[in-house]
Order: sequence, then C-alpha cells, then structure tokens
Amino acid sequence: MLSVTRLNVHYGKIHAVRDASFRVGKGEIVSIVGANGAGKSTIMWTLAGVLKPSSGEILFDGKPLPGKPHEIVRSGLALVPERRRLFAELTVQENLIMGAYLRHDKAIEEDLEKNFALFPILKQRLKQYAGTLSGGEQQMLAIARAMMSSPRMILFDEPSLGLAPIVVDTLMETILQLRENGMTVLLVEQNAGRALEISDRAYVLDVGHIAKEGPGKALLDDPEVRRAYLGELA
Amino acid sequence: MFLQTVVTGLSIGGIYALMAVGYSLVFSVLSFSNFAHGAVIMLGAYIGLGLVTKLHFGLGLVVSGAMAGAGLIAIVNEKLAYSLLRKRKAPSLYIMISAMGCAVFLENMVYATIGSRFYAFPAFFKQSVLCLFNGTCNIALLDLFAFGISILAILGLHLFLIHTRTGIAIRAGVSDMTMCSLMGVNLDRLISIVFFLAGIFGGAAGVFLGIKYLVYPTMGWVTNKAYIAAVIGGLGSLPGALLGGLILGVLETFVSTYVSSVMRDVFSFGLLIALLVWRPNGLFGRDTGEKV
Repeated sequence: MLSVTRLNVHYGKIHAVRDASFRVGKGEIVSIVGANGAGKSTIMWTLAGVLKPSSGEILFDGKPLPGKPHEIVRSGLALVPERRRLFAELTVQENLIMGAYLRHDKAIEEDLEKNFALFPILKQRLKQYAGTLSGGEQQMLAIARAMMSSPRMILFDEPSLGLAPIVVDTLMETILQLRENGMTVLLVEQNAGRALEISDRAYVLDVGHIAKEGPGKALLDDPEVRRAYLGELA
Repeated sequence: MFLQTVVTGLSIGGIYALMAVGYSLVFSVLSFSNFAHGAVIMLGAYIGLGLVTKLHFGLGLVVSGAMAGAGLIAIVNEKLAYSLLRKRKAPSLYIMISAMGCAVFLENMVYATIGSRFYAFPAFFKQSVLCLFNGTCNIALLDLFAFGISILAILGLHLFLIHTRTGIAIRAGVSDMTMCSLMGVNLDRLISIVFFLAGIFGGAAGVFLGIKYLVYPTMGWVTNKAYIAAVIGGLGSLPGALLGGLILGVLETFVSTYVSSVMRDVFSFGLLIALLVWRPNGLFGRDTGEKV
C-alpha cells in the first residue's frame, strides 16, 4: 500500500534520513523503532507532506504521494502526530469536525458513532475544550480526529509518549482493533517493546538509515535489538 | 452633553474596533502585525469616495463596494508581499517589515496618481441630528449608524468563526497551523480568507473615517489607534478588539471634550503603557500553555 524507496530528508544541513526504504502492505501493522533522534518523526512528517524529501520515491497505492499536506489527507493518509497536537482551544466536537474537514458524504455521522463506540468517553466530553482533557483522553481524541477523515492508512507517531502504562495497554488494543476493521497502520515508537509486540513487521532505524528489518516477534527476540532498544543488559 | 459625548465616543470606538479586528485576525493566524492594514483602509476610503462622486451610489452601496474592494486589495497584498516570505518560513519580523514597505508604497502610489488633495465625502446624513432633551443633546445619525454597523459586523464575524466550517478552520489554524493543514485545509486559501475578512472590515472603517473626517493618502495612520485598541484588548482576541476599540474611543472623546483635544493622544498612549505594565497580554490576551 505504501512503498518508500531510498528516501533522503535534510533538516537544513543535517542529513536526518539516509536512503531509507520500507513498505507497508494493506491491512498490516508495521512499526519503525529506534532511539531518540534516529529520524523516526522526520519520516512521519515527510509522509504527511510537512517536510520535503531531498530525494527518493514515495508511492501510495502505486501512485506518487501528492506534495501538499491537504492533498495527502485527501488521498487517504492520516497522521496522529507526536504529542497529539490537538486544537486545544477548540472543543472536542470541533476537533472532530476538523478531522472530517474534507468530507461532505453522508457517512460522517456513522463514522462519528463508530468513534464513540471505540472511545465512549469522548461523547461525554463533546463540549469540553480539547486542552482540558487528560493525556489518555487527548490521545483518544487525536486518533478519533484522524479517523474522521476516513483514511485508508493511518500513521502513529509516538502514540505512547507521556501515557501511563495501563493507558498504553488500551492504546495498543485500540490499534489492533483498527487493524481488525481493515485499517493499515504505520507505527513509530521509542517504546520499542510495545510496538514490536503488536507489529506484523518492523524496521529498526539507526541514525537515519534502516539497520534491520523483519517480523515484529523476530526483532523482539533479536539479542542485538534487545540490547540496543529494549534496555536489556548485555 | 454627557450622552452626546458617550455616543460620539462609541462611534469612534466602533470604527477603531473595526480596524482593530483586522489587526487581530491577521495577528492571531500569522503572528505578525500587519502594518499595511492602514493603507488598505485608506484605499477603501478612496474606493468609497470614487463610488459616490463618480457613480453617485447611495451609502449602502458605497460601504459594500468599499468593503469588497478593500477585501480584494488585502488578498492581493498578502499574495504579493507576504506569501513568499511565509513559504520560506521567514521570521515574522521580516513579514512585518514587508508590511511597512507596502504601507509606504501604497501611500505614495496614491500621491503619484490621485494626488495629495484632501477630499470630503458629500453629506449623506451628516447634517441629520437626533435632538433629545429639548436640543440639549444632539446626536449625529452618522455616529449611530457607524456604531450600529460596527457592532453588527463584529457580531457577524464572531458567529461566522463559531458556527461555520471555515470559521472553525480559522480557529484551528490559530491553534496549530501545521495540524490544520493535516486536516485537509488548504492554508493558502485559508490565509486569503483571513486577509479578505480583515480587508472588508477595513474598507467599512475607511468609509466611516472618510465621512467623519476627510480622505487623504496618509489617513491610514489613524490605525495606530486601532493597533492600540487591539493591543489593549489582547492581540488576537475578537472581544478584546471590540472592547479595546470602544474603551479607547470613549476615553478619547471624553478627554477631547472635558480636558483638551491636544491632550487626547497623551491619554491614549498613556492608557496603552499602563495596560501593558499591568497586563502585558491585554485584557483578553491568551496565556498559551501546552498540556503534555
């Protein structure tokens, strides 16, 4: 569904992503794990169209990904960004309306109900400002907001950041649930253990280039990965 | 006399508020003070003047024409002078300098083409006066009209921002521009809409100023006052712009009437300084804090 070939991204003079190639198949959960500063978020912002690649090819459903963020959303790719980035001064309801900004179809109400089924708490908080929600509720709203664009694929950038372990459990279940419903997921996490557990396949990113790839479970058992990213002592 | 002063103050305040709204809207979305706004207001006044002297339009059409014209000028101004800087992620200081350049350019363009003459609007109902209390209190209908239109326009803008999809998108952009584009909002178009809104409010203000005083190339610098109003209210806040404008207008009129018109600006700028010391974000300024 998504295929990235020899992607290079520069931040000014810093070469943040070097020749990264990866792909995500339809209905898969694929994760990219790596240390802080490895270039994970850079890849996400590039896929969302906010950062421009200096070279490389990004194909979405076999077609080159459009250049501008609003065109990328229209083509069916949505991002749940690091630290949520909700519209804090807008209500929960208005955040959800913004999620569906491009849509005029009848199914908006239906999708709203689906989101409330997944996150019942949001229904009670509709009129509340998004900035007043707890961290876990904010993450739910960020996911719901992205889902409101009715995407075919969803990008998660560090969704577990700043959440209590028990909330992270729920979050990972939610991601699995989304896949059950046919969603394709690309997940980027520093919390490598949790990400690899739920991933079909995964890539290890090391200072801008892909160092390893394989099935999630296999990487979870890889001694080198365990040492470098899961904090296991040698 | 007292009531008369209040009404005159409110009408001037309403005009300040119309101009301040333009500053506030642009500031809240792009975080820079658009010092070319005064020139747009001035051009709006000239458009209104042209419509009434050449085409003999009535007041309603003159105001609407000036609003539409100033709105379009504001869009073109943004496209030509700011959008390239914006796309190169230039610091907002540079965009502000570009705005000052635009103001000087537009003024001189008027000098070079129309000339430096002062023009007066023909009397619409300038002479019409509402007499109360056996003539001890004379209220100009124009003042009431300007005040009414200002309040209605700002109320309309408020409803637009709260209830329409585009309005919500503008507020989302104020909150987080990048995420706004990730919702599918075309930022170039959204920013054009913001400038158009600022422009139409400026166009109306320009005509009212022109009718109340005169039309001349540097008349736009009265926006210094609107800028003070916007800062008093809290840059970026709509109720703030309205309240700031009204407070300033009433204060100025009272000082002119009861103290001395020479002292007027001393009080205006004094109020600004006092307020900035007391509340640096203005009356309705936003304390933005992020919850992690």
